[in-house]
Amino acid sequence: MTPLLWKDYQKEVPDNHYFFVRSCIRQTFFPGAEAALLDILRNSLGLDIFEDRRHTTCTGIAYHCDLVPLETIMTVIARQLSLMTEAGYRHLLVSCVTSFGIYLEMLDMWQHHPEMLEQTREALWKSTRRTFELPTALVHTSDLIYHLRKPIADRSPHRLVDKSTQRALRVVDHVGCHYAKIFPAGGFGGAEFPSVLSGLAETFGGEMVDYPERRHCCGFGFRHYMLQENRGYSVSNSRIKFESMEAFAPDLILTNCPGCNMFLDRWQYTLAEMSGKTYDGEGKGIPVLSHEELAALMLGRDPWTLGLQMHQVQLEPLLDKIGIAYQARQKYSMVEGVAGVPREPGVLKVSFE
Amino acid sequence: MRSSEYINKDEVAIIGGGPAGMQTALVLSARGFSVRIYEQKEQLGGHLKGWHHLFPHGVAASDLLGALKEQVLARAIPLHLGQTVDHLQKVGEGWELWQGETVVGRAGVVVLANGFALFDARRKEEYGYGLYPSVLTSADLEAVFRKERPWPFGPDCAAPQIGFVHCVGSRDLKCGSPHCSKLCCVTAVKQAMAVKAFFPEAQVYCFYMDLRMHGLEYEELYRKAQVDYGVRFIRGRLSEAAPGQGKRLHVKAEDTLQGRPLHLQLDMLVLMSGMVPTFVLEQQERAVFFKEPVFGSGFVPVQGFLAAGSVVQQKGLFASGACKGPATLPEVFADAAAVACEVEQYLKSLKAVAHA
Amino acid sequence: MASLLSQLKDDIRFSEGLSACMNCGICTAVCPAAAYFDYDPRRICQLVQTGEEQELEKLLKGEEIWMCGQCLSCKARCPRGNVPGYLIQSLRKLSQQSGLFIHSSEGRKQIRLKRRIGHSILETGYCVHPLMVEPETHPEQGPVWIWALEQGADLYRRCGSNYYGEGEGGLRKMAPGVLNELEAIFEETGGLRFWEAIERGAEELKLNQES
Repeated sequence: MTPLLWKDYQKEVPDNHYFFVRSCIRQTFFPGAEAALLDILRNSLGLDIFEDRRHTTCTGIAYHCDLVPLETIMTVIARQLSLMTEAGYRHLLVSCVTSFGIYLEMLDMWQHHPEMLEQTREALWKSTRRTFELPTALVHTSDLIYHLRKPIADRSPHRLVDKSTQRALRVVDHVGCHYAKIFPAGGFGGAEFPSVLSGLAETFGGEMVDYPERRHCCGFGFRHYMLQENRGYSVSNSRIKFESMEAFAPDLILTNCPGCNMFLDRWQYTLAEMSGKTYDGEGKGIPVLSHEELAALMLGRDPWTLGLQMHQVQLEPLLDKIGIAYQARQKYSMVEGVAGVPREPGVLKVSFE
Repeated sequence: MRSSEYINKDEVAIIGGGPAGMQTALVLSARGFSVRIYEQKEQLGGHLKGWHHLFPHGVAASDLLGALKEQVLARAIPLHLGQTVDHLQKVGEGWELWQGETVVGRAGVVVLANGFALFDARRKEEYGYGLYPSVLTSADLEAVFRKERPWPFGPDCAAPQIGFVHCVGSRDLKCGSPHCSKLCCVTAVKQAMAVKAFFPEAQVYCFYMDLRMHGLEYEELYRKAQVDYGVRFIRGRLSEAAPGQGKRLHVKAEDTLQGRPLHLQLDMLVLMSGMVPTFVLEQQERAVFFKEPVFGSGFVPVQGFLAAGSVVQQKGLFASGACKGPATLPEVFADAAAVACEVEQYLKSLKAVAHA
Repeated sequence: MASLLSQLKDDIRFSEGLSACMNCGICTAVCPAAAYFDYDPRRICQLVQTGEEQELEKLLKGEEIWMCGQCLSCKARCPRGNVPGYLIQSLRKLSQQSGLFIHSSEGRKQIRLKRRIGHSILETGYCVHPLMVEPETHPEQGPVWIWALEQGADLYRRCGSNYYGEGEGGLRKMAPGVLNELEAIFEETGGLRFWEAIERGAEELKLNQES
């Protein structure tokens, strides 16, 4: 039999014309990442990416906290699709991995249960007088960056290589669970060997490192993170990943999910405060970047306009290795003038003067 | 139009020269019928060629194969080695055997004995076969026993940690294989014991869901593996294998009887690849094509349910052995004899009609 | 009153989540919740598979169903095509709908979550936004987060965000018409009725505590 290997699976991604929907978490913690993504797609690559200011949360976080019935989230999704339809687009570009999973799931349910699609059409009409068409392509922003990795690399003055030694930088990836574990056909490489991030890092000259807990969840846990007393679940699962990748001495953790990007950054600080341990051997932590942040850096975007000073694990050691120039003094100075600097953590080193 | 006279009705063509094909041929030949074997490989033997020793008694596979081949030779059964057959054409009551545009044989009766294929373990991606050198299939391990390939760990590793994974590509809807492959349980037990014989200090784990020790003396072998060899049986399906420290593998399962997740570092992981069809029958009016299986393809369908050998919807077409579904060697031998009897009945019934 | 089992069967996620489990434990082996809590998705499948009302009621009143982190790693692996994570969704929904959730301390936390994330959706159009992530209750966010919130609009706008402003872009303030549409959807599709069920549970708890 011709082997069905998801590993070699290539998803079809349209070259242009997208309706863009944002991520609650990305815009909360990494506002520069979404802005950079749009800037790259529109201005560096000249693509048509449309955003409608009336689009809202998909309610995915609440859905996975079990606060929103299935019929409700389906209809909220239908409303987003109605905006897409109204604007004349059929390709949906999704910033959030939770959202991406939700869209995949709704489309799958509508396909297998056409009566639910009809109910949703009716509910949307009754509540908002809207109608909608289904998208012909459902694309996560990391899919699109991966799809465009060669044109991006062609325009990039940098490589994921230690400039002083010419050593390829070691990259570990963490692909968000809902990217391909729910629907393997929704993502490049399927559930077990998603290539959406590794392919990107390799295009930039990085060396991908497989590590035992590569596929383990970062530990978001939805309700577990949202409830302070349950947050140990989240820390503890991220710790499983850090312990597992430590031996491979990665220079960078690459993510495509806004939540994972935040957790893998913040929990390094938390674990350092709790146990005194960092996972890089030098007390600085392992830098974490999302696909847009990496692409923006490689294209020469200013790290501080990109918002990298909002990371708790500092990026300067990585920028120095790659040879990306930055204005150290601008890091914390806002448009309106100097505005103080963050307090130093107890353990994690954040200044390198 | 070719007449049915063109075909010798009493001649039986057997497609496949493995244990099922050879044994069916031997029984029919002993009962006075004219048989021929068409084998696509250059040698007889099928999967038996690749095994080292056989459960439950450890008989060398080469001894059994040698004995079978000797009998086939002694009976002067005509062999068409290196001969593929890709479809059959009905002519009168009989059959033409075709390869592409060429007729390669004719017979009154055709017996399919094309056996099975081993599940391609790469498709179970989470086990990393083909990616991590320490992950082997059960067939690869036989090759290690036969000294055709090295152990995946170095000589410095005197006490290797070794895991056997049952049901790889069996009982798995995700792989399109809902069936139990039947012989993997006992094969794992046999191989676990053999590994312990090579490395007495090894720690060997078998990850199983149900131990199906249905054959003669299989259950005794299972007990022996526990008592004499210290093999540990863990009830739980392996969830994934990933690269661990050094050349080791990091595997995850649940010990379901203890109700707790289990992580182990292993030096070798053996996947008990299940049995899957080698072909699917595409039945047309007066023709049968052997096609490449697709996701979820089943084995050759037969009529009736007890020791049935007659292929659904086709007069004069029979199936013998593991092409009908997973079977152990003793079952294949018993089935081959039964199918030979069915063929004999069929040929006699044709004669009776002709005389009447 | 319909049996718990028949109510579960009305939820498509129940039938998609569990057809027949062979108890192989492949889900538990990769489950992050099983790595952290005393939790076993296989055992939940097994209990639900008995179909016994008493077992189901115990489950819906208990802590276990609230431990799943909804990563759905189980979906990628189950050889029977079951999805314990979907099964959990259907159990949690029924637990809240039926009021049984107030019997477990994990279940009771749904009241807080509903008032926080649920209300945020209808008030802001977002599940989460920066001002919800107060440093006092999110110490793990580190000093950088305290600093980021202090800078607020200055920092966010420098990074291309609209930060609660009118108009386009990230974190923009949603127009009232947009929020009205969201609320109409919640009303029409049972979202608000579901929240009322959670609040009824909260009310019952209050009464229990007073008596």
